[in-house]
Amino acid sequence: MKTDKQPHGHLRDLSPDRIRRNPDNPRLFFRPEEMDALMASIRRYGIQVPITVYEDDSEYVLIDGERRWRCARKLNLVRIPALIQPKPSELDNLLLMFNIHALREQWDYLTIANKLPDVIRLFSDKNDGRQPNEQDLSDITGLTRGQIRRCRLLFDLPASYRKQLEDELSLPKRLQTLSEDFFIEMERALKTVQKRVPAAVTDVNSARDALIQKFRGGTIGNITDLRKLSKIATSISNVGVRESNATRAIKDILDPSKNVGIQDVYAQQFEMRYDERKVNLSIDSVYEYLDATIESEDPATLGGDLLQRLRRLRDLIDRVLGADDAF
Amino acid sequence: MPFETLSARLQEVANRSMLYCRQRYGGNGMKLDQGIDTSILWRPTFYLRPSKFRIIAVEVEDNLYPNSLKGAAHEVSHYDFPISVYQACTLSAFQSDPKHKQVNLLKKHGFGIITVDEDGIVVIQHTCVPLAQHISPDLLDREIKPLTPQIKVAFRSAYDVYLANEGQGLQDAGQIVEGLVACLAAYAVKNNVIPAGALGGSLADRIDALYGTNKFKPHRAALGGTRDFIREFRNTASHPPTTAKQAAEKIRKCRKGFLDAVGCASKLRAVAKAVHCPIRIYVT
Repeated sequence: MKTDKQPHGHLRDLSPDRIRRNPDNPRLFFRPEEMDALMASIRRYGIQVPITVYEDDSEYVLIDGERRWRCARKLNLVRIPALIQPKPSELDNLLLMFNIHALREQWDYLTIANKLPDVIRLFSDKNDGRQPNEQDLSDITGLTRGQIRRCRLLFDLPASYRKQLEDELSLPKRLQTLSEDFFIEMERALKTVQKRVPAAVTDVNSARDALIQKFRGGTIGNITDLRKLSKIATSISNVGVRESNATRAIKDILDPSKNVGIQDVYAQQFEMRYDERKVNLSIDSVYEYLDATIESEDPATLGGDLLQRLRRLRDLIDRVLGADDAF
Repeated sequence: MPFETLSARLQEVANRSMLYCRQRYGGNGMKLDQGIDTSILWRPTFYLRPSKFRIIAVEVEDNLYPNSLKGAAHEVSHYDFPISVYQACTLSAFQSDPKHKQVNLLKKHGFGIITVDEDGIVVIQHTCVPLAQHISPDLLDREIKPLTPQIKVAFRSAYDVYLANEGQGLQDAGQIVEGLVACLAAYAVKNNVIPAGALGGSLADRIDALYGTNKFKPHRAALGGTRDFIREFRNTASHPPTTAKQAAEKIRKCRKGFLDAVGCASKLRAVAKAVHCPIRIYVT
């Protein structure tokens, strides 16, 4: 079967018991809340869109529609509509599901991450050993390059952390603490820290454990705090913080015995430096603009509103510098 | 592979709770991932038949009170076989239910709850009777509201018996109604409304004696209703079922009979109040 052809096949009513799930289906998690809503809908209106299967011996294997099939089984439906297609090749089977789900409903990143190596292997086999690049993967799977990068961060996680995430994702939403986003942000931050301040991380797994523990315990209150950890690591080159200060701050954050969160450290020691940098950049823009105005020798080109703001700025600068002089 | 559509964690819950049910109820008729009947739009995770006329079905799910149970409740309670339904979940899911809202709903609607903790320990948090038999404590409280404290206590006691044995529970509720009729009859004799000889007859005779008097003429509806109830509940409670269909039918009748008993008691209490008869019931 070619994936670039229109799907074809014939429609039949099948018993859900004659259908089995596709072992290559990358989907790992079926959120109970979503399944519950779908089940209520199917109970009321039945299955309106046929599932897609292929015939394998005396049974049928799912290509598309595992959630509907699960609901049908749970609802004890005797027959459900199914579109029967010819058996696809292993790669086509996988890519078909990738495309269906990437375009229709987003799979969990971990689901994709777990199957991406298979896609790479099968692509390579089919293309005389050529490894697919990010663009190739994007083209064949229907995922964006950004999504593929995020998946790779998860795939590069050690198996024990992937298991931890899998366990977490299988919980009902209200019981989940860790998410894929947490692991993705954590990995990005740790990569930056390892690159910029290698002395701060002696053992990356211990660092992961510390961050997970602090996030679970609430010491790290928000996933986006992990971006601030990256900012602390880049503060040496970006805002001129001493390396020893940044190293100490990161070590404190990554020390599980210290009740130190990222936000506190960032706010106390780094936020002001970044704010100053932001103001410096803004001042540079103003300099540039005013220089250009002076060079044009026509101050009248400045608008009334801008002139008013500049006057207010001048007054404020006088007050601040005056106070500074007095101080 | 059994429970293939469940996550690894829920597979563990399913296996543990199945083992527990097997030890507690025996493994007779154990079925995994199969429907009970096509008329019931729900396929429990597993079910078994601990006795000739009872099915225990278990739904393994961490999402408390899922739509599958809500939707199937009506079909299960009207099915010709008494079915008790449990939801099995992890202990953490049970404990993290905010204000136990869903847990309370499950109980209120007649479902039992089984939990499995991280060490695999199984606990029945709430037992249940077949759905067709279920009368929620809320409904009972609402129905017995107009009654006197003494009658309320008697009905609550009968309710406890009903939960364990629907026939005996109905008997007990019927005896409360009999006690009320006896009280009214004794009062009528004392006030020369009916002859003393009427007290010696059957309960139906006593109701008939009251029915024929002028004093009780405005209350004939209540007395007639009570007479019908007594005739009906005696048949229901005392005939043992020989088929599952009869067992399910008996359970439904017992439920209706129990609620009818409360209704009759309320009406008789209103009669007693109207004729200024002090209520003293003696339930044997």
